[in-house]
Amino acid sequence: MIEVIFIGLSLGSILLLVALGLAITYGAMGVINMAHGEMVMAGAYVTVATGIYLDLNIFFAIPLAFIATAVLGLLIERLVVRRLYHRLLDTLLATWGIAILMQQAVRLEFGLTFFGIHVEGLGAGLQRVDVPEVLGGTYDLLGAEINTYRSFIILVTLVLAALTWWLMYRTPIGTQVRAIIRNPQMAAACGIDVKRVNALTFAYGSGLAGVAGVMMSGFKTVFPDMGSSMVVDGFLVVVVGGVGSLFGAFAAAGMLGELNGIVASIYNDILARAVVFGVVIGIIVWRPQGLFSFKGR
Amino acid sequence: MAQAALTIDALGVSFGGFKAVDEVTMIVEEGELRVLLGANGAGKTTLMDLISGKTKSTAGRVHLYDHDITNLEEHRIARQGVGRKFQIPSVFRDLSVQENFEVASCQNRSVFANIGFGFGAARRSRIEEVLELTGLADDRHVNASSLSHGQTQWLELGMLVIQDPKVLLLDEPTAGMTQAETHKTAEIINSLAGRHSLLVVEHDMAFVRQIASHITVMHLGRLLAEGTIEEIESNPEVRSAYLGSQGIA
Amino acid sequence: MNRSKLALDLATYLVFFAVILALPLFYDEFWLNRFAKYLVYGMLAVGISLSWGYAGVLNLGQGLFFGIGAYMMAMSLKLASATSLQQGADTPVPDFMLWNAEPGAKTDLCCINQGSFLWIPFQDQWFGIAMSIAMPVLVAGILGAIVFRQRISGVFVAIITLALVLLVRLLVIDAQPVTNGFNGLTDLGWFTILGFEFDPYVVETYYLVAGALILTLTGTRLLVETRAGLILQAIRDDQNRVRYLGHAVARYQVFFFCVSAAIAGFAGMLYTIAAEFTSPTFMDLAFSITMVVWAAVGGRASLIGACIGAILINTIEAEMSETEELVEAWKAIIGFIFVMVVLFLPRGLAGFAHDMTDLALRSLGLAERETGTAARDVPLPAREEA
Repeated sequence: MIEVIFIGLSLGSILLLVALGLAITYGAMGVINMAHGEMVMAGAYVTVATGIYLDLNIFFAIPLAFIATAVLGLLIERLVVRRLYHRLLDTLLATWGIAILMQQAVRLEFGLTFFGIHVEGLGAGLQRVDVPEVLGGTYDLLGAEINTYRSFIILVTLVLAALTWWLMYRTPIGTQVRAIIRNPQMAAACGIDVKRVNALTFAYGSGLAGVAGVMMSGFKTVFPDMGSSMVVDGFLVVVVGGVGSLFGAFAAAGMLGELNGIVASIYNDILARAVVFGVVIGIIVWRPQGLFSFKGR
Repeated sequence: MAQAALTIDALGVSFGGFKAVDEVTMIVEEGELRVLLGANGAGKTTLMDLISGKTKSTAGRVHLYDHDITNLEEHRIARQGVGRKFQIPSVFRDLSVQENFEVASCQNRSVFANIGFGFGAARRSRIEEVLELTGLADDRHVNASSLSHGQTQWLELGMLVIQDPKVLLLDEPTAGMTQAETHKTAEIINSLAGRHSLLVVEHDMAFVRQIASHITVMHLGRLLAEGTIEEIESNPEVRSAYLGSQGIA
Repeated sequence: MNRSKLALDLATYLVFFAVILALPLFYDEFWLNRFAKYLVYGMLAVGISLSWGYAGVLNLGQGLFFGIGAYMMAMSLKLASATSLQQGADTPVPDFMLWNAEPGAKTDLCCINQGSFLWIPFQDQWFGIAMSIAMPVLVAGILGAIVFRQRISGVFVAIITLALVLLVRLLVIDAQPVTNGFNGLTDLGWFTILGFEFDPYVVETYYLVAGALILTLTGTRLLVETRAGLILQAIRDDQNRVRYLGHAVARYQVFFFCVSAAIAGFAGMLYTIAAEFTSPTFMDLAFSITMVVWAAVGGRASLIGACIGAILINTIEAEMSETEELVEAWKAIIGFIFVMVVLFLPRGLAGFAHDMTDLALRSLGLAERETGTAARDVPLPAREEA
């Protein structure tokens, strides 16, 4: 029983990690970032590179991936996303295009394959990251065998969620972001530099995704396509949670994660995912604005 | 006595306690041209929303002739014979003027009836008539988004004429128009009265004088007074309501 | 509509038809089979264009209807395969069902495993053909009735279609005893009409697909030229205005959504005939979105533009398939063009071509500067509904 709950929490935490960044950009800028999954992928590849070239483990990869993907996010925001604020459908499509570009960039090793150069750690093949010993194996909790690495992921997720909460609710810039989420025009009229704050928000969200990628690399194989399935799960969580609601994303991730875990334990993984999609469809049909949205019409 | 085209009976809507329209009772007779006056926020547009189905009422009933159209879906009310012109002109901006009229001329009962080509001689000539009436004949192939504000208003009005409803609800048909344009609009509207029944919301008193016979004044969601222009102008309550509210319009 | 433009439109269609009908003169059966698949992709793009460009409904899960159509046909063809018929000419049983049989069950479709009885009517090939179109239309009808009546806004409809295709894909994979799960349906018999067998590598099969595409394109184009098509475009422009004119907007949306689904189902059927297999990969999200990319690049609001776009993109990719890097690079290029289209060129390359011919016709004095554009093949894009 405990194991089932734990698996659910673990799945939920992974979802949340991916969804946090998405939720912020969805609420603040009206952007559905389909390239978010590729940010996760980028974070994973940074981990691979950190291991190969710097010979450092996952702990060091976390800040590196955060910075790398944040910068990437800044670039994308500036070039593409900035032109499409609040055009949800167009952002979905444009960022999907960017996702394709990012995947191909990794496959083609940024064009180097044309010159016959192969960069270790890149390319179309699979990469693996080794988990540091301290995080390996299992431990015992109330009689159940709990996977250490998954616990680590839950821990990191909680820390990041807490950090995000703190930034949003206890710092001036967080207040600005919340103001923009509620009413961008009024925020601008109050002297908030909306463009700059949005760019930073997008960067932060991408950074979070990068860290998610570091976490993923520890237990999934790393390959160019790994981001695609995650982004869909992520933004479904965000849409269900509600526009502009961090708590909504949190709650939805937890809910859907648990649902997945429970159904999977009764039937199988595949059916579990199907049920989750079914529930998501039901919720969107019943309440398109999401469960916890407080954004005005 | 003429038949009652539009009967509004104690109609009201309350948004969480706030009564935007409160116990309004009114009868528009067949062929009548009734003007609805009132300051901004008096509830005039909301009243039209209630009649046309855009907003659901929380009290009262609306009858079109003998049919109860209270809280039906918008398209059903429209099919019964209610046409509406909006404060912000609502036309098809990606289509041409002629195409706008063509859409308005399509029969609205079923999808399958419209799986066909062309519009037939009768509809064609009607569209031509309305193109002349609205002065848009030379611009028939122009995209509706390229029209001037006045032309857009006439386009919408023209669509209503083609739709040929029994009752027309016109919400500020001269908003943003020049004097000359207003005059033309008055002509179009006057040509409609008699065969149709009209309820017109307006602010421009000069225009109202050109078209109205019977006026209803609303204030704070309620009916304040009814009568001819002279009666309304000399009504002390109307005077105090307008003087009191200073008219933000 | 301006005569010159009408003539140019007609000419484009005729030239396109002539080209695809003439291909067998230049290519061998192996290539023709590949082209047949690309023509099917063209058909899919037409469906997307109808739904998105004309009705304003972005379907991110068109693969659902494609997949359903494919599976329906595949079921019939599977039962007609030699391996299945080995179990008895009147009691064919697909091979994978034998491997997934309930222990001790009778070797017959009725009872070999749970759900196998669903296959029984597919012994009749006409049933498979009918279901290829009927089933997607049914699903689209139900989905549309729910979604359009609730007046759910565009982006959420798109998200729902996305989630739905993912959902059904998982269900198909999970129902291993009935669908052969991940592996899909392979070892299919040949499509047979009036005794003629359509070997996928025979020119007649190519003509079957080409003919179907011509029919679909012509039919769809005629459909959007009807009054209903004009009303549909008005709905895309301003839903509410159309309501106040007395039309039941949801009915139009459901109707055209169903037509788009029927086109996709038809495409699925033809693909199965040409490719000799069907698989859950038809319902991969990436594939569904790729269809949208083809239509967007070709020109979402132009049926023939979307069609040609899909065919060209895939043909060029095939030309490049010698070198793996080139294929990947081509995909990157298309991704880039797609982003450009979304940002700057909503009417796609067809829109660009249209503007160029407009310019040319005007300078030749054959057309005036007029801007009415509906009921022609490239109406302007829909306003953002989100």
